[in-house]
Amino acid sequence: MDKLFDLILKAGTVDRRWIFLVIGLAVLLPLFYPLGLPIRATIATQKVYDSVEALQDNSKVLVSFEYGPSTKPEIHPMAIGLLKHLFTNGHKVYVTCLWPDGQFMAEEALTEVAEKEFNLSYGEDYVLLGFRPGNEAVVKGMVSNIRKLYTTDARGTLVNNIPMMKNINKVADFDFIFSASAGYPGTVEWVQYASDPTGVPMSTGTTSIQVNDIMPMVNSGQVQGILAGMPGAAEYEALLGSPGIGTSGMDAQSIAHLVIVLFIVFGNITYFIEVQRSKKY
Amino acid sequence: MLWKRQIPILIATVVGLSTLFGWFIDHPTIESFVNDDATQWYDILASFAIFLGALNLMKLQGKKIFKQQSGWQYSIFAIGGFFFAIIAGFFYKGNDAVEWGIHVTSKGTLFKWMFEYMFTPLSATMFALLAFFVASASYRAFRVRNLEATLLLVSGIIIMVGRVPLGSSISSWFIMYLLILIASLVVNVKLKDKKITFGVLLGGVLIVTIWGSLLGWPIDRPNLFYLPILQDWIYNNPNVAGARAIMIGIGLGIFATSIRYILGLEKSYIGE
Amino acid sequence: MLKDKEFWLVAGGISLAFIIYWIAGHPLLNEERIVMLLVVVVMSANLIYYTRFAKKGGEIFLRAIPGLKAVEEAVGRSTEMGKSVLYVPGIMDMDQVETVAGVIILGHVSKMTSRYETNLNVPVSRSIVMKAARETVREAYTMEGRPDLFQDDMVHYLTDDQFAYAAGVNGIMVREKPAACLYMGKFYAESLILAETGNSIGAIQIAGTASQSQIPFFVTACDYTLIGEEFFAASAYLSQSPELMGGLKGQDMMKAGVTATIILSLLMRMLFDLGLIEWNIISILTVQ
Repeated sequence: MDKLFDLILKAGTVDRRWIFLVIGLAVLLPLFYPLGLPIRATIATQKVYDSVEALQDNSKVLVSFEYGPSTKPEIHPMAIGLLKHLFTNGHKVYVTCLWPDGQFMAEEALTEVAEKEFNLSYGEDYVLLGFRPGNEAVVKGMVSNIRKLYTTDARGTLVNNIPMMKNINKVADFDFIFSASAGYPGTVEWVQYASDPTGVPMSTGTTSIQVNDIMPMVNSGQVQGILAGMPGAAEYEALLGSPGIGTSGMDAQSIAHLVIVLFIVFGNITYFIEVQRSKKY
Repeated sequence: MLWKRQIPILIATVVGLSTLFGWFIDHPTIESFVNDDATQWYDILASFAIFLGALNLMKLQGKKIFKQQSGWQYSIFAIGGFFFAIIAGFFYKGNDAVEWGIHVTSKGTLFKWMFEYMFTPLSATMFALLAFFVASASYRAFRVRNLEATLLLVSGIIIMVGRVPLGSSISSWFIMYLLILIASLVVNVKLKDKKITFGVLLGGVLIVTIWGSLLGWPIDRPNLFYLPILQDWIYNNPNVAGARAIMIGIGLGIFATSIRYILGLEKSYIGE
Repeated sequence: MLKDKEFWLVAGGISLAFIIYWIAGHPLLNEERIVMLLVVVVMSANLIYYTRFAKKGGEIFLRAIPGLKAVEEAVGRSTEMGKSVLYVPGIMDMDQVETVAGVIILGHVSKMTSRYETNLNVPVSRSIVMKAARETVREAYTMEGRPDLFQDDMVHYLTDDQFAYAAGVNGIMVREKPAACLYMGKFYAESLILAETGNSIGAIQIAGTASQSQIPFFVTACDYTLIGEEFFAASAYLSQSPELMGGLKGQDMMKAGVTATIILSLLMRMLFDLGLIEWNIISILTVQ
């Protein structure tokens, strides 16, 4: 038994690069050999889905892209899923970006969904207003007068010449807001300066780490549900019946989480052995 | 002294009071100042200030190269990257069919190429490091030292496993059997009596088995032991309660610090 | 409490002026926000009262904050080892109060490094923060009588981008191996990257942030962490200045007031829901 404990203690002092290797394999292997684990939507994800489903025909939806390449694996799948959902239900989509990287992400998402999958018409079914610097000043500016902030869209076309921008002058003219957010500025700013003051309902998708900050707003009803990180994206894809990158990443995330839990349990076993030995001696 | 002390404090006080109390005034000019102009002034100042930062960066990295200080080779990449981005943004489009300005996101331009093939993989790599660091930090730090650490550990495990599809595949009956095993271990450590330990283990296993058989072994019942439902509860209840409390405290801290600045009680920004 | 006559005279004067303004029809006032205005005024008055109380010699108890006591220990450790102190004031700009608080603490840390003649390295992510931090450090060194030790390059700009900044700071940590790493400001996802790298080089690490989601990462990876309000209390704790300590006391009283309001509102809402009163407290407390 002592020899076993010695072995465990020795393993416990392993160089952290071995831990990195194991985690790397735990993430890589399920990507090549998917397990196909079933995905069950949480109440928060269901609320987002139901809010979009409840929109009246031809609703005007403002979608804001606030993420970059680093958080793309978590948020891009939910942005793609949301766009599919909105276009399937025939809503008009207005895209804005509070992050400069967000415009690249928005271009990519719109090309994939609006152009290639749905073959929609730019300026009539969707429009990319683009990025404007100013953080929350942009949100405040949109609340009072969108046209003061956006004279042209991201492609250089005058906003006054875009058919679907007719009668859109401020945030209150939209029927729904969705913020795909990875930090600041993002969901909190949309709630504080746009959704709450104007009463336009909103929902959001964020990175897993941000869910803690946004959850009080979800519970108070200021935000209609939340897509929490890649699991949230996968759940939304499952509700849409359209599995994508989010779903394919979940096997890897499941195994990685399990491996981390096993490491924690192992670490505690070594800790208990050390404590027992120090008590003994 | 007037320019270094009184005037900065006056500017901070006047602008601070205007933006704070301007929110309560129902006048279009003041509303416009509070909602738009004040924050935009800051952004304009910050945009001009970028030159200071860029010049400082060039000066430091250039000095390292010229004096061949330790690590000067990295500075070549820093300066090279800086000028490459400037050229891609302001001097060379790479696609003449596209206008200046929208060339940053248009297909076929050097800037878009730089974003897709340099910036994106580099950003994603840095963010991906977190996966490894979370594992090594958890392994090192999550120890059952006291009650609070145990609660943190247990809730962390429940959320980590319950949040992913794997958690929804784990039956609540499995969790119950696991808890019975842990309880038996604890009883054995505390009481050191094999008969009682065996009794606890056998009794627990029998109760769970009979109960499960009667209910038909549903995967998600009893709810209390189904990880996704448990993690939902932890997320929505103790987690939100704690988050709200910390948010209130932080909000008051921000208010107090801001008021100290506005009233001139805090003068560290001018070096006092 | 009633001893500060000047305070009560001014408070009375302002209250009277407001009452007259209200009776005169309160032109230009956004009525929907009157509750918030009263809250702001009362909380500000509370802060001013306790600041004055402390300035006049009133005793204020401040509990020990281990993370702040450890700052001097960290600087001392760096001096003994002949290595530098790395100070990271967050990744956001001076419009964030946390960054401002981080720069304030930098001033105190600079005083220590100037006193012990320890190298200080402050890589920043924003140009305005660079200027403000430089001025703060320069003043600190001058006040300690060591302007000769100050160099502009102590505070230097890296980049605005979050992960490029994290990569740059990591590079500094791995190459220069500072003995102490202090993270004081607003952080996002890069917090664990910085803290784990600091841990790998064996540095003593002290973090302070009000970024709720990053606190657990700092708690896990750093030796000491200032959580939320402890971070804002740091400037008072380190300087022991009566004004700042009075402000802290005022903050605590505000928290007591908020707690009392929450409990009272809960009770009143319960009574409203039971139909015992007709007055919905939530409609008054909701900010428009």
